[in-house]
Amino acid sequence: MSVASAFYGCGSTGDSEEDKPIVVIDSNKTDIINIGGALFSIPSPIQTSILLKKTGANYNKEILNSNKNSANYSTNFKKAVNMGVYGADLGYVTIYEQTQDAIGYLQAVKKMGDDLGVSGAFDAALMKRFEVNLGNKDSLLVLVSSAYRASDAYLKNNERDDVSSLIIAGGWVESLYFSTKIAKKNKGNKDVIQRIAEQKKALDNLIKLLTPYYQDLEYKEFIDALIDLAYDFDGIEMKYTFVAPTTDAKNKITTINSKSEIVITDDQLNAITEKVDKIRTSIIG
Amino acid sequence: MKKIIITFTIALFAITLSNSAFAQCDSIATMCVKHMTAQFISDGQQYRALLLDQESAEFNATFYGNSTYRLAACSGKSDGNLVFTIFDKEKNVLFTNKDYQNAPYWDFKVTNTLDCSIEAQLNSTLSSGCAVLLISFKQ
Repeated sequence: MSVASAFYGCGSTGDSEEDKPIVVIDSNKTDIINIGGALFSIPSPIQTSILLKKTGANYNKEILNSNKNSANYSTNFKKAVNMGVYGADLGYVTIYEQTQDAIGYLQAVKKMGDDLGVSGAFDAALMKRFEVNLGNKDSLLVLVSSAYRASDAYLKNNERDDVSSLIIAGGWVESLYFSTKIAKKNKGNKDVIQRIAEQKKALDNLIKLLTPYYQDLEYKEFIDALIDLAYDFDGIEMKYTFVAPTTDAKNKITTINSKSEIVITDDQLNAITEKVDKIRTSIIG
Repeated sequence: MKKIIITFTIALFAITLSNSAFAQCDSIATMCVKHMTAQFISDGQQYRALLLDQESAEFNATFYGNSTYRLAACSGKSDGNLVFTIFDKEKNVLFTNKDYQNAPYWDFKVTNTLDCSIEAQLNSTLSSGCAVLLISFKQ
């Protein structure tokens, strides 16, 4: 069942029981547990930035959220979601080896982390290691992603899964925004368009991750916008064919051979681009 | 007054239990991170679930095509305590570490983008514990 159809009626502004979201969690298996919606994995925004560079897209600072905006975020919601946004931006500038910009974005991430009380992950030691490794893109990506994992663990330890979910959501929106901007500029970039279409399930998972916090007005508006976006993703055609995997036990590696094919129309891409733009504007504003 | 003391004691017990479980998850995660070598980049998240007996935790994920992932799955104080199985969206089994002595980590070369679920269960020797799953991708 798609999230958009499961959330039928959520877009309305009424307060009746019918208007409240229905959290869809697998209930077919009674011995499976889901804790706080934390078991939904959202792909790393760094992977999308790696793809963008591979496809030949040029570095474009204009698509990033200015690190100067970090001073403007006053609510925990804005700080958390923009910690995710800045994490994606930091990944992007690092992949394109823009070292001066990288320092600015790391400082923006640190500021958001300090304000949210997760400064331990982005402490002075990390900042120092980052500066020492400035010429080594691969090390920087490992450092940043590990710091994000540490802050995720810290937040979950302290039962602040809401903040953790927002950081993940911000990173996801920002990387999808990058992709839509590049797809719009270079309409022949099929790999990037494909990557946009592949976000269908990730979006479903993201909505499930955020839904426990729907009662809060800031979350409600954000989740409603994501649900609205999910309606456009619902129209994307996905074909899947199972092919038996092959395993190399000696090297502990399994090749997943299953085939998938995704068909996205220009109209669908345009609609998604427009909605992502609006969502992104609302979270960085 | 007696009621307040009982409530306070229960709350304190619950907090202590919760902190202890989280501390357990932390030490397991520290052990698990060792399976992520430098060529792998974390997805920035730490997946965890507290399990009892034969309960399973289900993790939903998307793996991008033309990528190589490493999954590390840990529980208890040593490797091999967590059994994990990957299913595609049609519930076909793509991999289970049960076939490989409950290997604590495994790599997956994904040719086409895949929506999947990962079920994790404690080894039968453990009656309860924190299950930690880490996902990384190759640079």
